[in-house]
Amino acid sequence: MSTSAGDSLDGGAAGTTRPPGPVDGPITPQPTNDAGASGATSKSGTPRLQMTGISKRYGAVRAIRHADLEVYPGQVLALVGENGAGKSTLIKILSGAVVADTGTITYEGREVSISSTSDAMALGVATVYQEPQLFSELTVSENIFLGREIRKAGRIDWSVQNAKVVELLALLDLPARYATAVVGDLSIAEQQQVSIAKALAGDATILILDEPSAILTDAEIEVLFRVVRRLTTSGVSVIYISHRLDELFRISDDVLVMRDGRTIDTYPITELSVRKVVELMVGGILSETKHERRIDASATPRLELVGLGRHGEFHDVDVQVRPGEIVGLYGLVGSGVAEIADSVYGIDQADTGHILLDGQAVQPRSPRHAQRLGIGLLPANRKQQGMFSFQSIMFNISAGHLSLLSHLKVWVDRGKERAVAQDMIRRLAVKTPSENQHIGAMSGGNAQKVVLARQLVERPQVLVLAEPTQGVDVGAKEEIHRIIAELADAGTAVLVVTSDLPEAIRISDRLQVVRNGTTTVEFGPDATQVDVLAAAAGDVDHPPSPAPTAPDTQSGSTEHSKEVS
Amino acid sequence: MSVPTTAEPDSGQANPRPPAATATESVPARIIRALLTQRIVLLAVLIVLVVAYFSILGAGGYLTASYDFDYLSAALINAVPLAMLGFAQLIVILSGRGGIDLSVGAIVSLAGMIFGFAYGQWGWPLWTAILLTAAVGTVLGLLNGLLVAYIGFPALIATLATYYAYKSLAVVVNNQRPISTKPIQDLYESTAQSVSLPLIGDYIPDVPKGIFLFLLPTVIVVWLLLARTTYGRRVYAIGTNDVAARWSAIDVRATRAGAYALSGLISGLVAVVTVGQFASARPDAGVSGNGMALPAITIAVLGGVAITGGIGRVSGIVLATVLIVWTNAGIRLAFEGNAGPQYQLLALGLLLVFSALLNGFALRRYGGVS
Amino acid sequence: MSTATVHDQPPTSTKRQRILAPPVTGQEIVLLGVIAVLWLVLGFTTPAFMSAGSIQPLLGAVAPIALIGIGMTVVIITGGIDVSVGASIAVCSVIIAKLVLVQAGLGLPVAVITGIVVGGLLGLLNGALIAYGRVHAIIITFGTANLFLWLSLKLFNSSTVNNIPDTLAALGNGSAGRTAGVPNSFLITVVLVALAWVYLRHTAGGRHFYAIGGDQLAAQLAGVKVRQRILIAYLLTGLLVGLASCIVVAQGSNLGQNVGTGKELAVIAAVVIGGTSITGGRGSVLGTVLGALLVQTVASGVTQLGWRSELSDLFVGVAIIIAVGADLIRERARRKR
Repeated sequence: MSTSAGDSLDGGAAGTTRPPGPVDGPITPQPTNDAGASGATSKSGTPRLQMTGISKRYGAVRAIRHADLEVYPGQVLALVGENGAGKSTLIKILSGAVVADTGTITYEGREVSISSTSDAMALGVATVYQEPQLFSELTVSENIFLGREIRKAGRIDWSVQNAKVVELLALLDLPARYATAVVGDLSIAEQQQVSIAKALAGDATILILDEPSAILTDAEIEVLFRVVRRLTTSGVSVIYISHRLDELFRISDDVLVMRDGRTIDTYPITELSVRKVVELMVGGILSETKHERRIDASATPRLELVGLGRHGEFHDVDVQVRPGEIVGLYGLVGSGVAEIADSVYGIDQADTGHILLDGQAVQPRSPRHAQRLGIGLLPANRKQQGMFSFQSIMFNISAGHLSLLSHLKVWVDRGKERAVAQDMIRRLAVKTPSENQHIGAMSGGNAQKVVLARQLVERPQVLVLAEPTQGVDVGAKEEIHRIIAELADAGTAVLVVTSDLPEAIRISDRLQVVRNGTTTVEFGPDATQVDVLAAAAGDVDHPPSPAPTAPDTQSGSTEHSKEVS
Repeated sequence: MSVPTTAEPDSGQANPRPPAATATESVPARIIRALLTQRIVLLAVLIVLVVAYFSILGAGGYLTASYDFDYLSAALINAVPLAMLGFAQLIVILSGRGGIDLSVGAIVSLAGMIFGFAYGQWGWPLWTAILLTAAVGTVLGLLNGLLVAYIGFPALIATLATYYAYKSLAVVVNNQRPISTKPIQDLYESTAQSVSLPLIGDYIPDVPKGIFLFLLPTVIVVWLLLARTTYGRRVYAIGTNDVAARWSAIDVRATRAGAYALSGLISGLVAVVTVGQFASARPDAGVSGNGMALPAITIAVLGGVAITGGIGRVSGIVLATVLIVWTNAGIRLAFEGNAGPQYQLLALGLLLVFSALLNGFALRRYGGVS
Repeated sequence: MSTATVHDQPPTSTKRQRILAPPVTGQEIVLLGVIAVLWLVLGFTTPAFMSAGSIQPLLGAVAPIALIGIGMTVVIITGGIDVSVGASIAVCSVIIAKLVLVQAGLGLPVAVITGIVVGGLLGLLNGALIAYGRVHAIIITFGTANLFLWLSLKLFNSSTVNNIPDTLAALGNGSAGRTAGVPNSFLITVVLVALAWVYLRHTAGGRHFYAIGGDQLAAQLAGVKVRQRILIAYLLTGLLVGLASCIVVAQGSNLGQNVGTGKELAVIAAVVIGGTSITGGRGSVLGTVLGALLVQTVASGVTQLGWRSELSDLFVGVAIIIAVGADLIRERARRKR
């Protein structure tokens, strides 16, 4: 990310008394934008909560440089920003999971300190995380009141407790019988609604919804919105985090934009469009000059996905990757993009469509099978799916290639194993004293290189990289991008699945956007972040190309539009 | 389920572990670190202390017999089944997902009865009978493996169920009668008796035959298996992180099922040793009294095997066995009559609780034990 | 599973709103059915089975396993395990039989209180080590099992306890130990199971065990006193071991050194057959009692049919596989949705 945007914005980020005027060079928001006064109707009187001058660093990483936030009773404040912009850290500070380094928080005019989750709860700040934090064996009623049960004569007063739960459920449009349902029997969407009910049970005045829509279907989102509106009419403030920008126009009053660890400003939703939000999020960054790679467009695609689908996750996915080409698949959380990568690697098999390797249809049944077919995959979740934590670098690299690095597939060839590990450490510039170092003690970037090295021992024909630089510092990110480019130069077909927009644009020869479970628009190397993000976030009004097909008309979506560059 | 308070981002610099030993650390601090984090060092020190303690007691005339090298060497025969079953537990615990094998004692009983039939009654040649017994043990272990790895039973439950089933079959198969025909009785000679080693035999004490016939081969084979073969690598991989193992194209289920089959195989061999030791194939050989699983698990934990999988070494098992066997040997000399075996229980229990607490402490203080 | 797919149910406004989950789980109904069928079959094939002389000892044998099973169920619900109960039985039994009854010649109340106090202390040791030492329950209780065994053998002093007076006859198998034909030990078990059932189902403290087993960290965040709860679970098991030991002592005039051997596995078997999940978070004491009853029915049936009594262990093994296997399949089906 560029740093050009940051400094000039300090004035704008100073808070409520923001002087009107241009916010950033190339982007000119509405000149009449004075959010504090004339914005949404819901803003009246003093703010319920103000965060001023918040900053937070983790080690050398400055997660938040300077953030201001204020939220009013009955207001829906959307918080948007790219991955790594600092949204989640800001929310963690507000919910007490993390303590800020600097800055003040005032609640209804008096200064408060939030140093634990219980402090936050006492103020009425309740957070609903994307993954419901519930006890699946207990009933809805028990989950909602766990730790604060209503008791009578030593026993839980079920009838009083259930009556309250039924009230809460009614607020959320859920039938009363859910009160006694075991949470494990509910769908994810229902569980999330239970989480909301749980948050409300504590008499929440500020409700934080962290990407609630990512796991919901459209109908379920409708219900969610109704709930949010009902809550705001009763005076609850809602802070709503979402990557799906089109939603914001249906639910939020104001939008607070974060970029590079700073809050840019709060804008009334009436003055924005999806495209404008995207521009604010991305800032005025010129697209970098990229290394141009020559790809033989007539070559048979090494990897081709034709109408690939898996029930409930993605459908009609069409992707072609030629030898030496890097194709990016960019999609927001919940768009289905991660599941597409999994099916190519045989983790979960697709149930419709085909996967073609060099024109031959294949069906990877398992990662083992995929590897034999010449497909490699760098998993998205390094700690869970990639690392053997308390084992050496050498172990971590050789684990996926024991047949190759052994005599007769039985006896480990330790000399060869060591040589390969040393070679990989050198090629990928892993910073370590030796190949015997435990991977668990390494930095994220170095560990990621080791996990990547595992995929390169037997050079795969097709390499799928899921979130290749997540949780990696800037230097290592550069190097990993360089490695990926070198692999492609050497003829590997590379498919990069990422939710990191600058990365997607920077690394891909072609970039396809996945939205609502299917591939939609395609961009060439000169794509801008604004265009791509707008397409992914659901901007159907400002077409960089013919409008992407609607998600529910499946028949039409195969003939997705392409922008030829 | 993750909890929101784990707030530390996976940033490049975030390093949750304390730094490795550095040159600035003082010598005492380094010794303490080695004792706490390297189980082998701790066990070696304990063995030296135990031997020294009982030697001093012996020199002072407080023991009923001499605690000398001949005695220690003869005591090693007790190490044979203990250490071998310790290896069986090592392999299944290494394989992760709560790996444990409660059924080893019952397999020893059942496979021992089969050995009794084959060698003692059907007149099979010794080696064929041993092969058959090993095969039976493997099959019984494999059933555990299938239940755990392919159907998804918690290891504790699956092996508890098969413990009951095998135990019952061992008793029923010969109507609760032991088999102690002439060939079986003669076996005692070839396992429990001590022999003088050729060449160096004059300089070191006589060593029980079973050590050479069963224990040493098992030590070497298990060590080579875990440290040198691709299968060993896979076991460590699935025990460390079985999701990552799957994503690294390892057949997690086959590898895990194999661990239980190996545990059964070793139990089958222990059955042969036990029949030799008792000079009789007894239907309750592996389950009488405290059974065999409990001491074997104790050995494994004492030897530094992490119950969560992926951590543990053959050398730890060997040293833990030696420590227990020599401690027991000393206790036998220090107490008259039945008090000896009782204090062995005390020693075993204290060692286990102590080592578990130590593991927990080392994990929090230094980030792990190796 | 009786809890049907919630979102598939049509809204039934006419039905009275139930304020609790169903009181009996699917596993328990299946167990009840299996036991009923077994009793019927055994009753028809071997008439002796249905006689008082057969049923009474059966219930008497169920009592100690089911009593300890109550505690073990709670322990397993929190995600732990206690393999030291067999050794704890040995300690409590020998203290009751040898010290209290034979040597001191004291009465029933003292014997029962002593048993419960000793058992409680042993359980407290386990609980303290597990809750505050933060170590794996199975490892620690394997260790304390050795310690308890040592203690019991020391007290036995290499001989069985003989000529135990019939002070505890009210808990025994004789006619003095029955009320209206039912063994008192079984009646006590039924009462305690009922109390435990209410405690686990209707009190905040009881429900918190389930939360801890479901997700310990999340429970802590929700304000559950996790360590205190874990301590209580093991303490409760210890107390019940003490009481169960009284019943064990009352069943004969001799007490052998192997009194507790294998009991921990028998109790765990009853708990898992009863549908309690070994990974924690789910389970019921009712199921545990039924599990213990099933195991004893099989054991009794095997002898009544004239088979080798050891064969019953084979059926216990198979019962564990079937009960847990059915549960695994159900869970998998549930997760797929």
